[in-house]
Amino acid sequence: MTATTHVEDRRRRRLVEHAAGVWSATSRYAAVLVLLVGIFVYFSITQDRFLTSANIENLLTSVSILWVVSMGMTFVVLTGGIDLSVGSLLALTGLIISQLFNDAGLPAWLAVALAVLAGAVIGGGVNGVLIGRFGLSFFVVTLGTLVLYRGIVNIWSDTKTTYVVSPFVDGIGFGELIGIPTPIWIMGATFVVAFVVLRWTYFGRDVYAVGGNIEAARLSGINASRTLILVYAISGLGAALGGAIQTGRLGAASPLVGEDIPLQAAAAVLLGGTSFLGGVGGVVGTAVGVLFIGTLQNGLSIAGVSSFWQQVVTGVILIAAVAIDRIQQSPSGRFGRRADAAGHGPTSTAEPRREGE
Amino acid sequence: MTALLAATGLHKRFGGVHALRGADLEVAAAEVHALVGENGSGKSTLLKILSGQLRPDGGTVAFDGREGTFANPSEALRRGIATVTQETTLAPELSVAENIFLGHRLAKRVGLVDWRRTRRLARTALDRLGLHIDPATPVKRLRPDQQQLVEIARALSVDARAVILDEPTSSLTDDEVEALFAIVRRLREEGVATIFVSHRLNEIFALADRVTVLRDGRTVGEAAIGDLDRPRLIHLMVGRALEEVVAPETAVEVDRPALRVRGLRLPGVLEDVGLDVGAGEIVGLAGLVGAGRSELLESLFGLHAASGSVQVAGREVRRRSPLRAVRDGIAFVPADRKRQGLVLQMSVRENLAMASTARTFRLRVPSAAREAAAVGRAMHELDIRAHSPQLPVSTLSGGNQQKVVLGKWLATRPSVLMLDEPTRGVDIGAKGEIYRLLLAAAQEGLGVLVSSSEIPELLVLCDRILVMFRGRIVASLTRAEATEARIAHFAGGHQ
Repeated sequence: MTATTHVEDRRRRRLVEHAAGVWSATSRYAAVLVLLVGIFVYFSITQDRFLTSANIENLLTSVSILWVVSMGMTFVVLTGGIDLSVGSLLALTGLIISQLFNDAGLPAWLAVALAVLAGAVIGGGVNGVLIGRFGLSFFVVTLGTLVLYRGIVNIWSDTKTTYVVSPFVDGIGFGELIGIPTPIWIMGATFVVAFVVLRWTYFGRDVYAVGGNIEAARLSGINASRTLILVYAISGLGAALGGAIQTGRLGAASPLVGEDIPLQAAAAVLLGGTSFLGGVGGVVGTAVGVLFIGTLQNGLSIAGVSSFWQQVVTGVILIAAVAIDRIQQSPSGRFGRRADAAGHGPTSTAEPRREGE
Repeated sequence: MTALLAATGLHKRFGGVHALRGADLEVAAAEVHALVGENGSGKSTLLKILSGQLRPDGGTVAFDGREGTFANPSEALRRGIATVTQETTLAPELSVAENIFLGHRLAKRVGLVDWRRTRRLARTALDRLGLHIDPATPVKRLRPDQQQLVEIARALSVDARAVILDEPTSSLTDDEVEALFAIVRRLREEGVATIFVSHRLNEIFALADRVTVLRDGRTVGEAAIGDLDRPRLIHLMVGRALEEVVAPETAVEVDRPALRVRGLRLPGVLEDVGLDVGAGEIVGLAGLVGAGRSELLESLFGLHAASGSVQVAGREVRRRSPLRAVRDGIAFVPADRKRQGLVLQMSVRENLAMASTARTFRLRVPSAAREAAAVGRAMHELDIRAHSPQLPVSTLSGGNQQKVVLGKWLATRPSVLMLDEPTRGVDIGAKGEIYRLLLAAAQEGLGVLVSSSEIPELLVLCDRILVMFRGRIVASLTRAEATEARIAHFAGGHQ
């Protein structure tokens, strides 16, 4: 082989690798993105009332709570965990707003700000410390806090809904700025912040490192405990923001809200291609996952399909998406070969784990 | 010679990796046949095909006159090929007898386990190996060498015609190795074929009758042991003569050591360990697996709560922890690169910058410019062969991955560099490069502490070698005093 062909060969290989890298980064949620576009087009054609600005606005505001919770949840899943307590924490936040505003008489904006802050502190202080500092299983801990917070909410509220009558809180649910509803602004803001933090800070890098290989991260001097605590604080923050939007939408704090949020958020994150093993994925995929769930539910509702059938469809698609994840991670591209191939084939192909790389 | 086992032209692919591309192996009955090759040469894939764990993509296997590969491990066992691997596959809570008959329980007619016959046959199998232990003892109470023998007893209990021993000696003392070899020789007299894998070449010359050499998935040589010598065998394994790395004589400032350890204790593991590593000195840690070498390094890095005094560059380091290691000037390259050293999905650049930026304010932007110095220097000086530092580190070869781990720590500008098995899973070519990098680091004034189970490696690298036995440092040998035999002598617990 002459020197020139060798150089050309290398250049070509680099190009191919780059192309493969870009493809595999988007391919983590490409299937769901294609499905999303597909059902969007399908509903636009078959349902007159689907592709109207009022319905799109409605679709987006109806997923706004799921969206902000899922953004926070993405951080947790990236470290290889799941936060099951977000739904109960969401309800607890509503109650804190109501207590601070109605009973303590604080101004509404301060009540909301303190409640959202409390969500982060509770998420990091309980889930985060137990998982990050004491090394308990994320599943057991967040399952425990799911039940615990719901219990506290029921006791504290006496299972009654309390109204929160305030123009500020009302504005969170129904206000508009330059013609766009507040919940959509909050969605945009959480997405941008989450994307920037994950992509362009050392903390974001820590999240991927801890999720990819916590032992190697620790041995490199990264404070893995602190990273985990912060990740659960962020998840708590997302849940609390969701609680604030929920309170605004209802104009009240209800002890019943948010029960199906943790599983829906986990579904959205996993649909979006973030691996439940951690270290791979990101919030762009989560956005696609949330929009997919929202569009499916919105379109099926317009088409008159019962919410029970919506659940069936969502469940099937979630399992399909996780199966796709498994196939992608398997070196030989098939099920069942993983055990055989362990330690032989490359453990991972040229696959950037972050979006847009 | 009629072959008992003949594998011809085996091919096996894993995704893009061609693990075997025409491997042959012929083993006669009553023969000890060594299978050698570097890491990644296809040894384990070949063994897995012979033991029924994998099926080849091409090629044939004939055993005892019958053609055909094995569908699964139990078929291989039934036809008479038994495997003893490096990690014991015994159930620790079960008795020796139960372990020996694991997988082929002796049943009475109604389907219940025939315990009396199980114990009697276990007794016979153990006696055959000269192992005098009660078959009712739980396996977890046995020493590692006894456990290994139980595995061999299990292999023989099925009347195996061929036994595969995959690195059986890595955790054994010299005496235990001798005892194992005596058993293998006795099996040879009984007509059993043994396929023996070891990375210790002197063991191969001591035990084997014939040798098959694998390189890059191909059989590159097959010879009687008498027709080979060490350099020729290495030449076959590596494909070229090995460049000798020669460490220069160094002037060491031992009065101002880079690392000074006094009275280090970790209950049950380390006993009163004291050592000095001078600035510019390379000190080796030798000893058997389980002697406490890894635990010593890990304790110095703060992974275990060991008591005692540790000074780095003259400063006492009290609260040791990986979080403080960079500040304290301690660097640690762990033994298991994939599990402890690297985040495989992350890029070469992110891995290289991981330790030196671990104390940076976390909301700062990791800019290429800020890391360019550390990353560029590492890529250049360590000669890391990657198309781009943006590629996932998993795409690099083992040697280049190890250089990334090394570069990650050199970028923190430590006073002490500790390495555990620095060349495990690295091909011989990359080994030489890593040696050179360590020598260069020492010349720049670092104190280097290397733990290795490969004594020749320590002999090449180290100014001084400390030998550990059961948690203590039992000998300190200078470069002039150290020989392989002497180190093995102390490592086996002899005075």
